[in-house]
Amino acid sequence: MKLNVDGKSHEVDVEDDMPLLWVLRDELGITGVKYGCGIAQCGACTVHVDGVAVRSCQLAAGDVDGDITTIAGLGSPDALHAVQAAWVEHQVAQCGYCQSGQIMQAASFLDLNTAPTDDQIDEAMSGNLCRCGTYPRIRAAVKTAAAKLQGA
Amino acid sequence: MKQLAALMVVLAPLSAQADGLAAWDRIYAVASHPRCTNCHVGDSGRPAWDGLGYGAARPHGMNIVAGESRIGAETIPCRVCHIGAAGPNAVPHAAPQIDEAWRLPPVELAWRGKSSGDVCGQLRNPDANDGFDLAGLVEHVQQSAFVRYGFNPGAGRVPAPGSVDDLARDLQLWAAAGSPCVGD
Repeated sequence: MKLNVDGKSHEVDVEDDMPLLWVLRDELGITGVKYGCGIAQCGACTVHVDGVAVRSCQLAAGDVDGDITTIAGLGSPDALHAVQAAWVEHQVAQCGYCQSGQIMQAASFLDLNTAPTDDQIDEAMSGNLCRCGTYPRIRAAVKTAAAKLQGA
Repeated sequence: MKQLAALMVVLAPLSAQADGLAAWDRIYAVASHPRCTNCHVGDSGRPAWDGLGYGAARPHGMNIVAGESRIGAETIPCRVCHIGAAGPNAVPHAAPQIDEAWRLPPVELAWRGKSSGDVCGQLRNPDANDGFDLAGLVEHVQQSAFVRYGFNPGAGRVPAPGSVDDLARDLQLWAAAGSPCVGD
């Protein structure tokens, strides 16, 4: 099947029911997308399909119906996405394992809700777990990114 | 003989109403089941995790609030985890998926915590049931992927009692009896 990932078209020979996460990591070598739980409980595997966040461990490759963006395609080192820039500014990451999922969730959320309240930020990010407990910095970075995107 | 015939004329509608109320009781057993009421919630927009086959009944984890949109558009859309394509739903704890966009029903269809009489009044009133007449309700039950899922949720989740066919038949019985509610 053909998948468009981070602006590139890929032909992959996989079963329809293979989770997208497996395709990205094992078939395409895009390892910025992380495996955490495999049951949509942690958010580490979050990518975008046509700009909307999705847990790639739950989405079968055969059910992908749009362009996929991973953390590797959200921005570039020279032109970071506003959420990535805010992550750097707030030095959010500790071990870093969950952070690509956190950033992808936050970017999709701020695309859908351009003027979120603090409560909405907490609600939107509550499905992404961080065992290091970087939540206060995550919240601060999302607020910074929201303000930057509103001013853009 | 004439007296017996007169008695039957009087009793026949009563019998039909009793059959209708019995059918309603079975409908309410479904409508009040956690498989339905987990999402048939009010304007809190807060779905529940009840009847999962493990753990105590509790609000949906991850602080999920579906908002006014009823699809979580304001915060985290249901579709982030609940994929809109038919799936085996074979893994406990994973997000169920069906061939329809996961969402909460309209707020006027809130059933969670409501009595048999309240839900009955909602369902027979098109202004309170998302615009369905009784024939439309039967058709909805027969075609909805959500309803099918409720009877076959998989992975140890507790199914709603009966089947899609049972529910459709009971709705038809209830409608034929004039859609009676307790206390009419």
